[in-house]
Amino acid sequence: MFSFMFTLGLMGLTFYRTHLLSALLCLEGMMLSIFMAFSLWVLQMSSDNFSTPPLLLLTLSACEASIGLALLIAIARTHGSDRINTLNLLQC
Amino acid sequence: MSIMVCLCLVLLILGLAFVASNPSPYFTALGLVLVAGVGCVVLALLSGPFFSLILFWIYLGGMMVVFGYSAALIAEPFPESLGSGYVLGLMVFYMCLVFFTASMVMYFYGGPLHLLGEISSFNMVQKDAWGVALMYLCGGAMLVLGALVLFLALFVVFKLTWGMSFSVLRSV
Repeated sequence: MFSFMFTLGLMGLTFYRTHLLSALLCLEGMMLSIFMAFSLWVLQMSSDNFSTPPLLLLTLSACEASIGLALLIAIARTHGSDRINTLNLLQC
Repeated sequence: MSIMVCLCLVLLILGLAFVASNPSPYFTALGLVLVAGVGCVVLALLSGPFFSLILFWIYLGGMMVVFGYSAALIAEPFPESLGSGYVLGLMVFYMCLVFFTASMVMYFYGGPLHLLGEISSFNMVQKDAWGVALMYLCGGAMLVLGALVLFLALFVVFKLTWGMSFSVLRSV
C-alpha cells in the first residue's frame, strides 16, 4: 500500500505539467507515505525503539520543504513565475 | 473497526492519485491536506494517537500552511482540475495502474507476481529452479508481459538503428 502511495507521488513528481509547486507538493506526498509506513510498522510490529525515526523523518522533511520553497521563490524572482515553460535556459 | 481502516486506506490511495494528477497547486495542496487527515484517522484507529497528533501539528500546521502561502504567489484565475479531460483521464489511468498491480501481487497462491510467499519446508523442489516452474505454473501473465516487452525492445532497436547515417543498418 505504501509502495503504491510512494510510486503515485513519484509519478506526480516526474510528470508535472505546469507549476513547480505541484511537484514539490508531490514530494511532500512521498514523505507522508514514508512517515505512515514507519509509524504503522511501529504500531503493528510492536518495535517500540523504532518510534523515533518517524519524528526525525518529519523534521528532515520540514527542512527539505523549506529549502524547496526557498528555491521556488528564487525561481519566481528571476523567471517571473514558477511555470516550467519559463525554465528554458538550457533548451537547444 | 477494520472496515473503517480499509476505507481509509482506499481513500489514501485515491487522494494521492488526485494529488499526482493535478497540475494546479491549489488542488494539490487541498488533496494533500485531505490525505494527511485520512492518514491521521488511520494512525488513530490503529492505537497510535501520538503519531496522528504529530502529523497534524507539524505536517499540516507547519508545512502545509507554508505551502498554502506560497501558492498565493502563483495566482491563476482559472485553475485546471478534474473538470478538464486530461486531468480526469490521468487520474483514471493512475487508479487503473494501481488495480492492475494489486491484482498481480495478490497474497494467495496463484497471483502472477507471487513474490513474497514461500513454499513449505516439506516440498521437495530446488530452491533456485523453482522460479522458472512458477513462471509457467501461475505466472502466465508475467510470461506474456515479458515476451511483449522483448518484442517492444526489438522495435525500439530497429527505430534507433534503421536508416540513420551513423548506425549499422543504413541504406548505402
